[in-house]
Amino acid sequence: MSDIAVYAAKKILTMDHNQPTASHVAVRDGRVLAVGDRTCADPWGGGRLDDRFTGSVILPGFVEGHSHLMEGGLWRYAYVGFQDRYSPEGELWPGLASNDELVARLQIKDQGNAVVGWGFDPIFLKGPSLSRDDLDRVSTDRPVVVLFSNLHLLVCNTAALRMAGYEDALDVEGVMRDGSGRPTGELREMAAMFPVLRRTRIDFRDLTAGTEVLHRFARSARRAGITTATDLFSALTPPDIAATSGIVEAEDFPIRLIPALGIAGGAPEGWIEMIEKLRLMSGEKLRLGAAKLMTDGSIQGFSARLKWPGYLTGAPNGMWNMAPAELREMISALHAAGIQMHVHVNGDEASELVIDAMAQAMRGPGPRDHRHVLQHGQLMDEAQFRRAAELGLAVNLFANHIYHFGDQHYERTVGPDRAIRMNACRSALDAGLQLAIHSDAPVTPLSPLFTAWCAVNRLTASGRVLGASQSLSVQEALYAITMGAAWTLRMDHEIGSIEVGKRADFVVLDEDPIQCPASNLKDIGVRATIVGGRVFE
Amino acid sequence: MKKLPLLVIGGYLGAGKTTLIRHLLQNSDGLRLLVLVNDFGSINIDADLIAAVDGETIALSNGCVCCAMTGDLYYAIGDALDRVPRPDLLVVEASGVGDPARIAAVARAEPELRYSGTVTVADAQSIGSLLNDPQIGAQVAGQLSVADLIVLSRPDLSDLGAASDRISRVSRAELIPSLHGQIDVGLLTGLQPTSSHSACHADHNSAFVKWSGHINDRVSPERLDRFLNEIPVGVFRLKGWISLPDHTLELHRVGLSTQKSKMLPRGDCSLVAIAPSGRFDPAEMQHAWRRMTGEE
Repeated sequence: MSDIAVYAAKKILTMDHNQPTASHVAVRDGRVLAVGDRTCADPWGGGRLDDRFTGSVILPGFVEGHSHLMEGGLWRYAYVGFQDRYSPEGELWPGLASNDELVARLQIKDQGNAVVGWGFDPIFLKGPSLSRDDLDRVSTDRPVVVLFSNLHLLVCNTAALRMAGYEDALDVEGVMRDGSGRPTGELREMAAMFPVLRRTRIDFRDLTAGTEVLHRFARSARRAGITTATDLFSALTPPDIAATSGIVEAEDFPIRLIPALGIAGGAPEGWIEMIEKLRLMSGEKLRLGAAKLMTDGSIQGFSARLKWPGYLTGAPNGMWNMAPAELREMISALHAAGIQMHVHVNGDEASELVIDAMAQAMRGPGPRDHRHVLQHGQLMDEAQFRRAAELGLAVNLFANHIYHFGDQHYERTVGPDRAIRMNACRSALDAGLQLAIHSDAPVTPLSPLFTAWCAVNRLTASGRVLGASQSLSVQEALYAITMGAAWTLRMDHEIGSIEVGKRADFVVLDEDPIQCPASNLKDIGVRATIVGGRVFE
Repeated sequence: MKKLPLLVIGGYLGAGKTTLIRHLLQNSDGLRLLVLVNDFGSINIDADLIAAVDGETIALSNGCVCCAMTGDLYYAIGDALDRVPRPDLLVVEASGVGDPARIAAVARAEPELRYSGTVTVADAQSIGSLLNDPQIGAQVAGQLSVADLIVLSRPDLSDLGAASDRISRVSRAELIPSLHGQIDVGLLTGLQPTSSHSACHADHNSAFVKWSGHINDRVSPERLDRFLNEIPVGVFRLKGWISLPDHTLELHRVGLSTQKSKMLPRGDCSLVAIAPSGRFDPAEMQHAWRRMTGEE
């Protein structure tokens, strides 16, 4: 008979309403054999008691339903953001509150030729903007590049500007200049950034794939208590998957990974063919077969498509990344082929268009159990949630936005009346929808407990409560980061709760999230994770 | 190393971008073209043809231009720059909803690239209703407004007057009707194929006008500036050199964008202009030239 391990805990929160709490869980062959008290494994002949977690609280492993592997890639550079962040190695990188602190941080890093920082976000900083002069204090001969957290902007020093020829070039779009016409070091958008990126060998393509990126991403996820994570807009094609599969399926790789192939237009037939091939390459820990579609841009970037009355600033409406006509055709074709779709919809015009397209697709051929998911859905109102429910769609709302960008939405993008109902988790649940919440890492840090904290407290960075009536209870938020997200990945029969027969994927916490004050939810320590019965401490 | 000219081809889905690119590949004898397209399958160029024109197409699977998350397109342009030998021309097809100006901007930023124009293709039959579409109209208008030249496809099926009236409300660019993607390669690319046996060349001579001027003398900077302001509407490309008293400038103009750079000093001036026949009057060009050179 195989070995049976019985884990004892201060408390086990199962997310199974038949038995919401327990004290022991028995694991055999990587699965949950029994749940209950210390005798739960007795009918199976008893097991070896593992008491290392007796002072801790066990939950189903967290499921991050919307993240990107790039979170792993960026850590090759120095983190210079405003908020504290843990590296994949568990090292605390304190947030930086001034340009001086940023300069000091970059001086300690030696990365070969170029010095590179990432995660910079000036909206949180007071005082003068970061400029070439600040970065010249890091080095006058080596190029120094600081990437903004949104990756649409960077600031570089004089050496980097010279490499790109920007000192002499006049009037290059995106090269910011001061009153006297001197470049400030700030470069906006990819076209202007590219000459510097190219000469400093910062290749964004290397940040989204490869062994090092996978391992770093998985370590980051594990530290946050995640046992299953997505890579939503994967560029992996069948030849890359063989290598990825070898890494992910290895016993020491600490997470299950669910990439969804990024689809950017073109003929549906080619994509369908590729996804069918990918689906067959799934294993126990690497699951393939879903698609990710883009629609609009971002709300804080004013590129999301909004319904009337649009942006508060009067900015023109946003941009489509796929034409509405093409989206409708793609959605119908993928639905007919039985392919699950995760669809990026930030603005309410985008969510409406996709709901319409889904309704149209569902009048044709296709499976009833499609499990298509509206991702972000930041401005969806109750009418849209009700229609989504009628069509069997799920939503994965961007709870972290409330904290990171909530003040901007309140003051600049959409105004108080719409901001207080952004990422309306309460309305989604009330409409009967399956709900997940997410980080969109690396856009915001990978941490489901923080994401749950956002959905419960709805606090912005400045301390404003953004729509208390949309708050979730702690229990609901915990469900969203376990079972809710598992449902959106078609894995709720395998993971997301601690039930007999499910995979032994757990997170071990230092405190009971139900008992501790809701305001402390984000600060609970993650002691360990267990994936398929294997402990990662 | 010689700068790599970058030509951007934009236009909404189904406008005829692929047809235009296919025509370009088939009629660019002797030119080494590298084409970045969104969907390789759609070009449908067989291997023989690629070998014959010494060109190559590379498909981009992720055309998303919203998030710099991938930036694939720009890195593909970087790969093109690193090729040995460098192609004679890099052609980038924008996605059907893409803003060609975002791609064109890299040609002005990257010192090893030279901007060689933005050509937006519009389906003469459907452009009117597309521009009125509440969801996509503004984006399509944007593609037209940034163009240096607009190629009107399917002219045989359409009311060209209505189409060009509608387009002129959103763009100042010159329009040129083109059946089945046929257009003079020299006009489109600013480069001349080495052999001129390409079948459609003669047929379409009437679609564009060439003008050239040369003097064995230098001009003053003031006269050059005045000349640049007097270039008549409709000139799509202008290239050559102008010798000033103390140096010689190489001139590349496409649409309304002029690039000047110093070259080895000479004592003469030489320019070639090319324009779609229509509004452009070579006599007007000649007049401006002669005012600069002091012949008038």
